[in-house]
Amino acid sequence: MTARRTAAAAKESHVTAGTARAPRRRRRPWAARSIAVVIIALFAAWTLAPLYWMIATSVKSPLEATNLTPTLWPRSFTGANFQGLFTGTVPFGTYLFNSFFTAIIAALVAVLISTLAGYSFSRGGYRLNGVTGIAVLATQMLPLVVLIGPLYLLLLKAHLLNTYFGLIVGYTSFAIPFGAWMMKGFFDGMPREIEEAARVDGYGRLGVLFRVVVPTSIPGLVTTAVFIFMNTWNNLLYPLTLVSTNARQTLPAGLMQSFTGTFKTDWGGMMAAALITSLPLVIAFFAVQRSMVRGMTAGALSGT
Amino acid sequence: MTAAATRTGAARPAPPSRPPRRRRRRGEPWLDWMTLPALIVLAVVIAYPIVRTVIVSFYDYPLLMPSHEFIGARNYERLAADPVFWTSLRSTAVFTVASVVGGMLIGLALALVTERLRGPWQLLRGALLTPWAIPVIVVAFLFRFMFEERGGVVDAVLLRTHVTGSSVPWLTNGDWALASVIIANVWSQAPFFLLVFTAALAAVPGEVVEAARIDRAGTWTMITRIKLPFLRGAALVGALLMTIQNFNNFPLIWAMTEGGPAYSTTTLVVYVYRLAFTKYDLGYASAVGFVWLVLLLGIAVLFIRVLRGRTA
Repeated sequence: MTARRTAAAAKESHVTAGTARAPRRRRRPWAARSIAVVIIALFAAWTLAPLYWMIATSVKSPLEATNLTPTLWPRSFTGANFQGLFTGTVPFGTYLFNSFFTAIIAALVAVLISTLAGYSFSRGGYRLNGVTGIAVLATQMLPLVVLIGPLYLLLLKAHLLNTYFGLIVGYTSFAIPFGAWMMKGFFDGMPREIEEAARVDGYGRLGVLFRVVVPTSIPGLVTTAVFIFMNTWNNLLYPLTLVSTNARQTLPAGLMQSFTGTFKTDWGGMMAAALITSLPLVIAFFAVQRSMVRGMTAGALSGT
Repeated sequence: MTAAATRTGAARPAPPSRPPRRRRRRGEPWLDWMTLPALIVLAVVIAYPIVRTVIVSFYDYPLLMPSHEFIGARNYERLAADPVFWTSLRSTAVFTVASVVGGMLIGLALALVTERLRGPWQLLRGALLTPWAIPVIVVAFLFRFMFEERGGVVDAVLLRTHVTGSSVPWLTNGDWALASVIIANVWSQAPFFLLVFTAALAAVPGEVVEAARIDRAGTWTMITRIKLPFLRGAALVGALLMTIQNFNNFPLIWAMTEGGPAYSTTTLVVYVYRLAFTKYDLGYASAVGFVWLVLLLGIAVLFIRVLRGRTA
């Protein structure tokens, strides 16, 4: 009974909603509204308090930052912690550069290879499709830790430990499967007609891809690149095992090592470093936030 | 009932019809060749290490020494009798399930209450997403700092508000340490679910919601009867992705506790790392790693089945 009525109503309101926005601002019940407000407030506190604490601690003087009874509002505002990062004994600047350098190169290389593979999955012979879907999921599940031992031995033999090249190869390889899958999702959403028209116009095969397809899928490319950049920036295991010199160390492993040494008690400096480490990722993330979900879940949704 | 009817009817645009498979396409092998660079990289950096892991697991293989000795299945015998292996298997399960369930519930609640935020209030949702963009290593340090036993802000606040009588041994007691790691992980991953659920909520056809409202459905009915059924797919995919990620979450745990105190926060990946790179026992580490790999493969097959069943 109710069901039928709702269905009818649905049809009706569909008509009105289609032509003009129906006046739907009805007051929500008071109770539901206040529950929503309370939940938002609670979770806003839960989410923002740690962030606040990081920022607040980073501007405190060393003495205040390590105080046994922490001050919730910093009494001393100082930029000394940030300055100390670049003048102190920890080569923070080097870590920062290494992180940027390896993450950007890895993202570019991985996106290039993923684009080729993703385009092939999307447009090519369908015989590979079922298998690759499973392969991608399987490689996603592979624990890096299990593979790092043999990889370490391999790079040791090839004399590639402590090099950018070794790091980038490691980063890239693990980014490719998911990257290819994300790119496939974006390519699937593109009409084929354009490509066919371009073929008729006399473009070659790679010409179609790089002159026609790639320029129109820039948002997808950027999203995939940012995703890979974020993953790489977060990678602790590779630099921890494959790099042992400070000159090639990246931020996560570098901070981890200095944390057990120099930073042990210097929480102010640590939080300043944490803040700077976070900024590139936060900026990159918000730049592509909208298409990120689509890219991440599209593969999993369409993949099977 | 209603939902299904409208979904297949008016609301959902017809899926873009794929052009039928043409014979011409089979004559374009260059499209297959384009996967070659990816395959080569994967072969060297993924397939080779897997094979090598299997081989090494039958050896006594000290990482930094040139001597390795074939010892048959003795690494696997050792594993079956290793209590640490079993506790880390348990920790892995607890860590993963608690993180995914916790993150999902918080993400869902947030998505539901922020759904109708308009105008400048949408910035708030943006702010709530921030933790997901914070590097894992920073999350680890930040929570390690906040959970400090002496002078940590969490204890300070709890003590000052008299929620607890004495300071909690967050990172120094086994069970608390596991809980702390999970809390930090939920903090950093709940926004992912918020994103996923927000996207899924936006896809709930407006007519259905409107119809339910005309029927005077209360807020609670609206959520449980109308909206949640639409979120099932998103929940499944999101949970799947995050389960995979948390099974292999090394950086957060390693940077926060290094698997300690004792072995209380040692999940399987952390255990493999500890064996290989702090005890330099690559042979046994490979055996543990390989068993974990096989277990994961089983879980992956299960997941694929579930996904297939859902889309079929």
